[in-house]
Amino acid sequence: MSAAPAPNALELVPIMQAVAAGDRKALADLYGRTSAKLYGICIRLLGSEPEAEDVLQDVYLTVWNKAGSFDGNKASPITWLAVLARNKAIDRLRRQTAPTTTFDDAPDLADDAPSALEVLQQDEDQKRLNGCLDELDDQQRDSIRSAFLDGATYPQLAERERVPLGTMKSWIRRGLLRLRGCLER
Amino acid sequence: MTDARNLTPDDRASLAGEFVLGLLDGEEQELARSLLVTDGAFRLEVARWSGRLSPLLDEVDEVRPPEPLWGRISERISEPLRPSAEIHQLRRKVTVWRGVSGAAMAMAASLALFLVIQPRTVAPPAPAPVREQPAAPLVAKIGTEDAPMAMVATWDSANRRLMVAAAAATPAGPEHSHELWVIPTDGTPRSLGIMPDQPTKRMAIGEPVARQIHEGATLAVSLEPRGGSTTGLPTGPVIASGKLESA
Repeated sequence: MSAAPAPNALELVPIMQAVAAGDRKALADLYGRTSAKLYGICIRLLGSEPEAEDVLQDVYLTVWNKAGSFDGNKASPITWLAVLARNKAIDRLRRQTAPTTTFDDAPDLADDAPSALEVLQQDEDQKRLNGCLDELDDQQRDSIRSAFLDGATYPQLAERERVPLGTMKSWIRRGLLRLRGCLER
Repeated sequence: MTDARNLTPDDRASLAGEFVLGLLDGEEQELARSLLVTDGAFRLEVARWSGRLSPLLDEVDEVRPPEPLWGRISERISEPLRPSAEIHQLRRKVTVWRGVSGAAMAMAASLALFLVIQPRTVAPPAPAPVREQPAAPLVAKIGTEDAPMAMVATWDSANRRLMVAAAAATPAGPEHSHELWVIPTDGTPRSLGIMPDQPTKRMAIGEPVARQIHEGATLAVSLEPRGGSTTGLPTGPVIASGKLESA
């Protein structure tokens, strides 16, 4: 494995397929190409190396077991992996204050519709998303970004912006709906 | 906003977004989690929010993980028998009933020879009169989450005998039984009996059910209360399944 360049979606698709088929070497290859990205996400959210390592291990074990849920027609492998890593990191972060929130657990579903991870789509690119985030008020944008990227909670966001909790909640909710409206234009 | 019935479409959209952001707690978190389990449309909304926001992850700096981590992962995946994506998909397709999934692992497996099935109801003791041409046996590879070929079932239609060879004796625990079903193309499961903890040789199948065992039918194992389902249909999770094909 040479130093991996930014993972290329097209390169990763056959590797993911090989992982789904149970090819251990393919998982090693995938790890070589994507672990720095995913570890970066875990470290940023968790801030602790041992926690981030635990979560990263869990991510690749999940990939090993659930690679079949990945649909190359919907999301790029790196998006799928990054979202999986972020979800698991958020779950770990919230462990002490709330039940886990994983949404990759297909077998528990009570109906036949697919799990969220199975239908994950990336239909936006970074530029477009940032364009739409820029249309929000500064506090809305910063708060949404901080929740997603740093795992900030409502109380933390409210304190940071010096507004009551209820105000922050309605900012975020309105911000999300505006964001969705912009992205769907 | 803690009753799903009172949610407007906008409420649902923002709830899904807040869920993805990881902002929910308390009752709202519970509501989102229950919708996530019961409501495919909500899952889709959650997936869309993940997709919408995922480009933000592009800006996170890469950090090389410590060297020994791969070794730990590699060790874990070297353990034998992993869930198979194919079985995962198949399992979803044949899951005409639902239940908790934790029990799936109860079926896990290491090794043994013949696990056998005894009919739940008393099977006709006499060999069946042969009415048709002796057909080639049908074979189903019955996979679990852990092992795509946890069991191989062979159906001898002329003698109405089903032999199940398992990779492991798989006791269901004191409170449960594993029940074997055939799901013919009409989609209605018929019980073939309880799988005993103790191996015996083979199981005889009564005439009415035998008629439902044909090429293309699915054999499935469900986890049931001790003694088997009392409703005539599977009540617990499907933990293994496979299709009957010509040998």
